[in-house]
Amino acid sequence: MAMRAALRCLSSNFLPRVAQLSPAAQLSAPRLLWRSGGSARTLSSTSVLSTALRFTDKHEWVKVDGGTGTVGISSYAQEALGDVVYCGLPEVGQKLELMEEFGALESVKAASELYSPLTGEVTEINSELTENPGLVNKACYEEGWLIKMTIEKPEELDGLMDQAAYDTFIKSMEE
Amino acid sequence: MKGARPVVEVVRLGVVSYQEALRLQQLYVDRHRSSPANALLLCQHLPVYTTGIRHKPYPAALLDRLRLLGADVHRTNRGGLITFHGPGQLVCYPVLNLGNFTKSVRWYVCELEKTIISVCRRFGIEASTSPHTGVWVGDQKICAIGIHCGRYITSHGLALNCNTDMSWFGHIVPCGIEGKGVTSLTVKLQRDVSVEDTIPHLLDAFRQHFNCELTEEHTAE
Repeated sequence: MAMRAALRCLSSNFLPRVAQLSPAAQLSAPRLLWRSGGSARTLSSTSVLSTALRFTDKHEWVKVDGGTGTVGISSYAQEALGDVVYCGLPEVGQKLELMEEFGALESVKAASELYSPLTGEVTEINSELTENPGLVNKACYEEGWLIKMTIEKPEELDGLMDQAAYDTFIKSMEE
Repeated sequence: MKGARPVVEVVRLGVVSYQEALRLQQLYVDRHRSSPANALLLCQHLPVYTTGIRHKPYPAALLDRLRLLGADVHRTNRGGLITFHGPGQLVCYPVLNLGNFTKSVRWYVCELEKTIISVCRRFGIEASTSPHTGVWVGDQKICAIGIHCGRYITSHGLALNCNTDMSWFGHIVPCGIEGKGVTSLTVKLQRDVSVEDTIPHLLDAFRQHFNCELTEEHTAE
């Protein structure tokens, strides 16, 4: 019950595409919660099974869906980088610590490091980026995602900025 | 605060091996952790070929062939593909905190290009940018640029050919760009232009484009 209410509440703040949780995903959420057993007790008030975009101060974003975090860089970041020509990403299975360097993006002959927004393990890397690194510029929140990872410490999400806080953060940088 | 101009320390390393320059760069990068410590490292290298984060185009066999020419070979974490560094080439490594300037890698590379174009102009050479990063005189690259940025701290930098022995470039496709050549200040001006001749112009142009103050200590570490 509380779960459904939480989802409704979140969806009003979501970017449109994230709010479109399929009915199947909504139904499966409680099952995932039970499967994770003890970790349910450590959940913060924000549901860890599904969140809106959260941002780091290094301009990475993470979006949680079904207990998996998808990671990418923000629009502000891709603009500041220029056209991405190469993505240096980690291997599946690599364990990452919060704020640990996990790869680099190359643009205009500059290699810029990427920092992990959470502690977890890499489960998938975006293979589209090998042939099409420009997706990071064209669709940084969608097809231009970088890696997917498990979330070992859900409480770390609370340390990240939500959309509003991130927008404020960017404005303060531009002054 | 927008008022104060950032201070950048000029460090002249002389002729050093690539490894030694990397070690010194790392010291300056690490210094940024404790306090603002912008530095501009100037040096020349003993002959060395270096590659960037894209490894695939350069398998070990290719790199071994280059070693047989008498050059050192090094893989690095900078952007850009293969290039050559050697005596007669002014190598400049700005170790800056972009937080003291503009927090954009694209802006930073653009200002480096503008700085070199200014240097060329002072010698009466018309240089320009192109879709390929670096500074060009017509179809020939006179200055290569390849940088690394982590937590807004920059490393690696640029390499401007003054009176470099250009034959070293003949063994590679410089920066992976087929069909384009390389050139130097000496070749363009048909008179000898050394690294020492060029440094004052570089410092002046850097100060101008990065709107900073330059200071100099007398000893490098």
